[in-house]
Amino acid sequence: MKDTLNKILKIDRRWLFLLLSLSILIPIIKPIGISSSSISSSVQNMYDFIEKIPAGSTVFLGIDYDPSTAPELHPQATAVMKHLFKKNIKVVILTFIAGSGGLMDELVRTIPPQYGKVYGKDYVVLPYMPNFTAVLTQMASDMYAIYDKDINNKPLKDYEMMKNIKNYKDFAASIDITGTALLDGAWLPLVGDKYNLPILGGVTAISQVGLGPYLQKKQIKGLIGGMKGASEYERLTNEQAKATSGIDALNIAHLLVIFFIIFSNIILLVLKFI
Amino acid sequence: MELSLVLGAWVAAGMTLFIFSFLYKDNPFYRAAEHLYVGVGMAWFIQLYTYSVIIPKVYKPLVDTIKAGDWVNMWLVLIPTVLGLSLITQFIPKISWISRYGFTFLMGYGAGLILPAGLATDFMNQIVGTIEPFANFFSLSAGAMINAIIILIGTLSVLFYFFFSVEHKGAIKKVSAFGVYFLMIYFGASFGNTVMARFSLLYGRFDTLVKYSKGEYFYATNWIILGLLIYFICEKIFFKAVKLKKT
Repeated sequence: MKDTLNKILKIDRRWLFLLLSLSILIPIIKPIGISSSSISSSVQNMYDFIEKIPAGSTVFLGIDYDPSTAPELHPQATAVMKHLFKKNIKVVILTFIAGSGGLMDELVRTIPPQYGKVYGKDYVVLPYMPNFTAVLTQMASDMYAIYDKDINNKPLKDYEMMKNIKNYKDFAASIDITGTALLDGAWLPLVGDKYNLPILGGVTAISQVGLGPYLQKKQIKGLIGGMKGASEYERLTNEQAKATSGIDALNIAHLLVIFFIIFSNIILLVLKFI
Repeated sequence: MELSLVLGAWVAAGMTLFIFSFLYKDNPFYRAAEHLYVGVGMAWFIQLYTYSVIIPKVYKPLVDTIKAGDWVNMWLVLIPTVLGLSLITQFIPKISWISRYGFTFLMGYGAGLILPAGLATDFMNQIVGTIEPFANFFSLSAGAMINAIIILIGTLSVLFYFFFSVEHKGAIKKVSAFGVYFLMIYFGASFGNTVMARFSLLYGRFDTLVKYSKGEYFYATNWIILGLLIYFICEKIFFKAVKLKKT
């Protein structure tokens, strides 16, 4: 028996990779439907905050992620953008991440037409801009000094929705979906705390834990964390999409890992006493 | 379906599977994908920065200001450009000292801009956040009271853990040891979230592979998996034959 248990402990790790792959692959091919029903308070706060923004107000939506974090953040950005358009909130989309171009383009190509939104009237897209500290500082006085043209190289000021917009005072909030430290390292200190613009965001599950203190102090008004947060937001907005199906796969994979941990610990315990 | 989309699907599925094939064992497909990733990534960033920074922010303004004889604005573009270029001299040891001008500006500008804002956000506001609930403690709900106490104890005990000016013995040792539990909880939560994030990324790739396994993409995923399987089987048979020949 001891030999068998030792053999199990020394199993070729490639079998575990295979099992883990299957645990994620099967729910994609055939959804099981075991997603959780709870909503975390930070996601609920984010939803409630956007719900309270008056129609016709303007917000920033930062698409600050690239393909490396897209599986977690793209569903968040999709859900938030849909919610904003559903509430008839005008959106200024911008990015400080060079690699986000394609993802931003996909969002803009697919979501606004679903809600009958018109470019220049309901939303505008700003071009990628390096050096976020300079950009965020400059936008406090006059955003056209840094963004004189939109992504299509046309004068930004000429668009209908930008007529009464000059600086942060004219925005209702800033929502940054980011796989970097831009939310707590740039938007919050340089804009939120300095100019009292409400800051909300979406981050990867890894970054989520470190942002707890800002949520506690309400410096960040609402936060979506990882794919779990995105699935919760999709549920709140009744727009079940990628994150809802993804959380199914994550649940199975987590259960498998928990099983591996418990199983190997039991074997170690048994080996200790036989 | 457009040809470019189908081609893109084959490249995406191929590169993903080539990278994943390393989990089985090192192989030429993995190495090719790895080198391509580094090369293509670098080339992509160079073109991106050229077209979104160098041309619109440096080249065009310089040409326009020179043509218009607007010397003041020309210097406003030229000075930061020269400072930026000075950083490249790091690669030439003989004149690397020039890079100090660029770095000095970057450090001064960065520190001046971020330090006051960062201190307010991360330091002052967090201290206020820890103490504030005690200003109206008895008007809080039971849950908020417990929360405020936990945060205060956690903050103080962790601070004691990192306080090295006095020797950790007696009461200080006990308090700092208590701080370790808070740190462990943080690390545990952080690790759990990291695992979840990694699974999310894996889900993202698998989702793409499933998408590209459909008829509209000419079963890209299926054919590439089959090709890899044939390669690994042939490789095993070939090496077995070579080994037998040697012995």
